Amino acid sequence: MASSSASVRNVRIFRYDPQKGGEGHFDHYTLEISDETTTTILDVLLRIQREQDPTLAFRYACRVNMCGSCGMVINGRERLACKTNVSHVPRGQDIALRPLNHFPVIKDLVVDMDPFFRKYEEALLFYEPKEEFAEPASIRPDSRERRNIGLNTECIACGCCVSSCTMCRYHEGYAGPAALNRAFTLLADSRDGLFEPRLTRAMASCYNCRTEFNCTEVCPKEISPTRAIKHIQWLAVTHRREQPRLAAATGSQESAATPASQAGKTDRRTFLRQVCVGVCGVGSALALGGVASIAAVGPALRKTPRRWVAIAKLADLPSGLATVMMNYEVKSGIYMQSVSTPVLVSRAGGEIVCFKSSCPHLGCLVRWDGASERFRCACHGGTFDRDGKVLSGPPPRPLDRYVTKVESDQLFVEVG
Amino acid sequence: MSTEYRKPLQWGEQDPYRRENTAIGMWAWLAQRVSALAIVVLLALHVVLTYKPFLQFLLLLMVTFHAALGLRVILLDFNWVGVKYQRALIWGLVGLGLIVMAATWLSIY
Repeated sequence: MASSSASVRNVRIFRYDPQKGGEGHFDHYTLEISDETTTTILDVLLRIQREQDPTLAFRYACRVNMCGSCGMVINGRERLACKTNVSHVPRGQDIALRPLNHFPVIKDLVVDMDPFFRKYEEALLFYEPKEEFAEPASIRPDSRERRNIGLNTECIACGCCVSSCTMCRYHEGYAGPAALNRAFTLLADSRDGLFEPRLTRAMASCYNCRTEFNCTEVCPKEISPTRAIKHIQWLAVTHRREQPRLAAATGSQESAATPASQAGKTDRRTFLRQVCVGVCGVGSALALGGVASIAAVGPALRKTPRRWVAIAKLADLPSGLATVMMNYEVKSGIYMQSVSTPVLVSRAGGEIVCFKSSCPHLGCLVRWDGASERFRCACHGGTFDRDGKVLSGPPPRPLDRYVTKVESDQLFVEVG
Repeated sequence: MSTEYRKPLQWGEQDPYRRENTAIGMWAWLAQRVSALAIVVLLALHVVLTYKPFLQFLLLLMVTFHAALGLRVILLDFNWVGVKYQRALIWGLVGLGLIVMAATWLSIY
């Protein structure tokens, strides 16, 4: 694949000269690259320094993405110069190199990492055993605890995450993703003796995280500091319960000789108690939920039989519009519910129409307004004419009508 | 000879190609904050101008976005969904929210 992707690339590099001061600027270089897929950005920098501009300053050491010295912003994203190939930069773009955010710039691409390591130290980055162990206390690789800590121990402190985190700018005291990630690896470690002071410090800033995942996106070691911060937030909520369990876990691990008993950290009594509490909890939740849902949802699902209700004597009904109260009883569950609802009766000659008094929009009460000769709903201003047709407002359809019948001089409507 | 450090660069300051490289999680965060502000304004308008379908639609849309992205953060906060699904959560929850919203809207109108 050699020379398959030879090209000439424009390179823009941020320059800052501490003797001149100022804001800094970009210098332009042009470089012929024989194979983009095997040329790293660090190679580009070294070549420019040797061939074109010996005053260019940048930092590197291992060249194999282990040391974290060459973190910088490459085309709008934090990456390691030694891990990024020229072919990773889209063809149409210049190669744009710039120092990391949130750190004072010493010269060109070199930043002062002191604030970074100060925060790292403030998070208590060191391991302090809970007690003197005669044997090296280990966490089994296949244990849940070790898998939870995961690859977050792989941090090389390159500063990419802190540079990508927009919250580091707005919160002066924010420890930042790297320090919190370090704190997490030790907080989740049952052998650690500094749980409380560490958590106290981490808690002070763990809520500055806004879950943007910038740190996770840029981490060259593919660690998710966001996950670490979420774990710390979780510990902050639960640490009162967490502490005795951690103590118990260390105790049992210390005394346990066989791997089998090491894996099961809860004893029988605790286990049974947890099962008991769990079963009771689930049972009572089901019982409560069942009663509540039957009471709340049941009536809506139950089919009530349709029936006729007499609402008025024909002789008592005036011509024109009248509002008549309809009263009847429905059996609802184990008790009788009395329903009392107004019915809008429109009588013109021999024809009688009964409208439901609830607005077809959202069910508010509709009244007859004699002055304007229309039905009105006070909630959202819906109006209907004498025949129930919508005149204005939000109602999606005309007023609902009851089925009616007249029997032995009584007006009946069908309900159900 | 003065050797003064330049004050720290900030996100987006003298930062070519940054916008193209902004990660989706950041847009999700931003969209949630913007929708929160929009809800405040639209809710006030909704109270003053009672029945305006366009306003209602916008309000419902903003509430949908805000709720979907808020649920995402809650799910991630409690580790009910692993962080590696954070992108899927954005599309999934916003999509689900829009479906629910469409159903709500069509059932009212």
